[in-house]
Amino acid sequence: MKKNGRILCVDDEPNIVRSLQWLLQREFEVHTASDGQAALALVGANDFDVVISDQRMPVMSGVELLREVRRLSPRTMRILLTGYSDMQAVVRSVNESEVFRFINKPWNISELPKIVAQAVKIARTQPAQAPIEEDGEMAAALADEASILVLDDNPGMAEAVTEAVGNGAKVAYTGNLAEAVGILNNEPISVIVSETRVGSIDATRLVRLMKSRHPEIVTIMLSDESDFETVTTLINQGQIYRFVPKPVRPGYLKLIVASALRKHVSLKQEPGLAGRHEVEATPAAVAASLVSDVQSVASQVAARNPGLAAGFLGSIGAGLRRLFGATAH
Amino acid sequence: MRFRLVRYFTVASLGVFGLVAGSLVYFEHQQGESFKQMKEEQSAFFGEVQQGFAERQDASARRDLLAIHEAGNVNLTRLFANALWSSDFQPFVARAQAIDVHQCRAMPDVPDASGRMTPPPEKKACFSEVGRQIMAIPGFAELDAKVYDAMKKSTVFKIKVFDLRGITIYSSEHAQIGEDKMTNAGWRGAALDGVAQSELTHRDTFSAFEGVVEDRDLISSYLPVLEPGSAKIVGVFEVYSDVTPFLQQIEATSAQIREVAEANQRRVEAAGVAGLAAIDEASNRQLAVVGGLLALLFVALLLIVRRADRIIVEQERDREHTHQQLTQSEKMASLGQMVAGVAHQLNTPLAFSQNNVLMVKDALQSMQYPMKVATRMSEILRDVDGDHVTLKVVRLKQNLDQLENGSVDVSMLQEMLTDVLDGINQMSELVVNLRDFTRLDRASTTRADLNKSLRTVAYIAKTVISKDIQVAEELTELPAVECNVSQLNQVFLNLINNAAQAIDGAGRIVVRTETDGNTVRVSVADTGKGIPKDVLPHIFDLYYTTKPAGEGTGLGLAIARDIVREHGGDIEVRTEVGVGTTFTVVLPACEAQTLPLAA
Repeated sequence: MKKNGRILCVDDEPNIVRSLQWLLQREFEVHTASDGQAALALVGANDFDVVISDQRMPVMSGVELLREVRRLSPRTMRILLTGYSDMQAVVRSVNESEVFRFINKPWNISELPKIVAQAVKIARTQPAQAPIEEDGEMAAALADEASILVLDDNPGMAEAVTEAVGNGAKVAYTGNLAEAVGILNNEPISVIVSETRVGSIDATRLVRLMKSRHPEIVTIMLSDESDFETVTTLINQGQIYRFVPKPVRPGYLKLIVASALRKHVSLKQEPGLAGRHEVEATPAAVAASLVSDVQSVASQVAARNPGLAAGFLGSIGAGLRRLFGATAH
Repeated sequence: MRFRLVRYFTVASLGVFGLVAGSLVYFEHQQGESFKQMKEEQSAFFGEVQQGFAERQDASARRDLLAIHEAGNVNLTRLFANALWSSDFQPFVARAQAIDVHQCRAMPDVPDASGRMTPPPEKKACFSEVGRQIMAIPGFAELDAKVYDAMKKSTVFKIKVFDLRGITIYSSEHAQIGEDKMTNAGWRGAALDGVAQSELTHRDTFSAFEGVVEDRDLISSYLPVLEPGSAKIVGVFEVYSDVTPFLQQIEATSAQIREVAEANQRRVEAAGVAGLAAIDEASNRQLAVVGGLLALLFVALLLIVRRADRIIVEQERDREHTHQQLTQSEKMASLGQMVAGVAHQLNTPLAFSQNNVLMVKDALQSMQYPMKVATRMSEILRDVDGDHVTLKVVRLKQNLDQLENGSVDVSMLQEMLTDVLDGINQMSELVVNLRDFTRLDRASTTRADLNKSLRTVAYIAKTVISKDIQVAEELTELPAVECNVSQLNQVFLNLINNAAQAIDGAGRIVVRTETDGNTVRVSVADTGKGIPKDVLPHIFDLYYTTKPAGEGTGLGLAIARDIVREHGGDIEVRTEVGVGTTFTVVLPACEAQTLPLAA
């Protein structure tokens, strides 16, 4: 039987490594390592399609290992496996390791091989991109085209972003989801800077759905308070670019917004790259709940501003249809 | 002992207030007494002054009376002498002088009952005889009549005339004629010195010109008789004049004055008494007001103190409540941390066991068809007698992929199941350790082997702390310790967690036990950053923490020390910044337990 993919499983628990090997060896060429150093040695010697690593290991954590893997072998897809709800680890897995998936132990034995297969396919078919340097330099060439949507209850965040990008991009701000849908419908948005909750409504759904329909949009999540579950979902279903707990230092904001803009440029110039950020399907029920929330927010906004009611509601409806396809009605 | 604020305040303040009230009453009383005394002295002085004034007034009235009457008598005598001396008395005196009185005078005086020398009756009789001779002198009756006429209806009650020998040569009371007055001070003053002598006397009965009078005040004056036209004393008059009405007037005036003085005195005394009463009343009122104010002050202070006491008690209760809540939340936090660690620890064996069991299940599923084929084959083989069998394999060939899928490596399945057993062992080990850690199934205190506890605690701790930190156990055999195992486990877990938090990155924690037979020493040493000098004195303080707000309650070590002290032990700490910290729990060993060991 032809093995269609070379993968590396890393865990300090030998039983785990053995189990993964038994599970995956039928389809893939499975290599194993019990710590980060051994894994890096193997990565140096072999061209792996996928590296699956446990987070909690002595000496070198999974996040650190995958960050090195990303540096050493950009085409290798990275999957983090953990049994521990470690918020810091999951945030670092977004920001430092840019993992493809974040998987909790115990894993689903029918899903894991499919995810690995998907990752292998992407690794083999989609071009790899060298890591974007976070040097804070705005690419002048894209200034006229780039625009950033800031979605936050606090307008101060838009000011902070405007200050961070300077002339590098246009900044659109809104504090409600309906307007966000309107903006996304009317103009091409390069980067979304969003809070996880806007006006007490879960905004991560919009981010997830946007990424599934428009992979070239790069998303930065800023959050006052967030939980492990939310970030995991944002990785797997939203492929967010960065997750930053508030408060954000202005210098760091500038750094990540600049790097996000460049990421967007590269994704647009070479659409194949976006395949590397293929997301797990967002459940239909989530999309439906988002649509109904957006519509209720839209009608509230319309009720406050009777003047723009008819056109506004119509444009939101059209926006929903265009943005999320058949899910809108 | 509990400080009873209200009771102590009540006793102390009532005592002091009592003293204040007592001293006020005492001073008021003292003041009243001295005032009273002063009043009495004043009143006595005033009385004396009044009395003296009355007496002086009386005396001066009498003196005036005497002086006035003496002057009157002197004039009277002059008039009398001018009128009668040359014409009537001079010849009569000349004749009376001739009567010899020497033999009478020669008779000695005798002492009377009181020892005074008085003339004996024979002497008096002798002089009476002289008197009779004088009265026998012719012209006596005319003279007597003239004197009587001259003195009739006057205030002069009696007149006597003495010669210069001192013999009474005339008296309006005839019985007294012939009496010797030579030793009489009045006579001597008038006769020898020419000075009028007067005295005020009271007579119950007195023989006056016009008969005997009773109860009269009289002024008697001895007056020298000067020869008309010269200053030569020729005899002595004695004049008795009646001053009874004057004296009565004087006495009446004196009585009036005394009465007024007494009334004044009474008024002064009454005023004094009234004043004293008023002062007493005022001071009583003052005392009552001060007492009332003191009572009011006491009540106000008591209310304040009681309120303060209630507030203190409430605050104490609140503090206690907060402390309990924090203790509880600290417990819950460490429990939560432990549960998270345990969940993770459980997750690993769970993950691979589940994976393996599901894979074995799938493998068994895929083996179902090959097994059926094999079973059918064995049936066929049993029924065949010869060595050769002809099989129609068309259907088998159709299901070749099922057969191929079923060619599972059974030894691999066994390995998988062996791993599952391993996982189950790991999980049951965890369950046993958890049970040992909490010891919920044991009595609250028991004799325990701390080494066993420490192994459990170290196991539990390892599930939480970083895999970069090595936890080593250096345990020596220990005598049993009477303790609440669950509580001590909490202490040890806290110490190991603290040790882990002190280590950045990789490090090592050593859990060591030692004993000298009487005490057991459990130490937790880390290779962490150590405790700075300024922090060290506070590490056991309640609510003291160096962790960011919300991450530490500052109760961990405080509770740990409380628990250890309740066990009769203590916690020691030794630290060096940059090298590490060692916490040592010292606990008393069970004596009874050491006996069977020694036996």
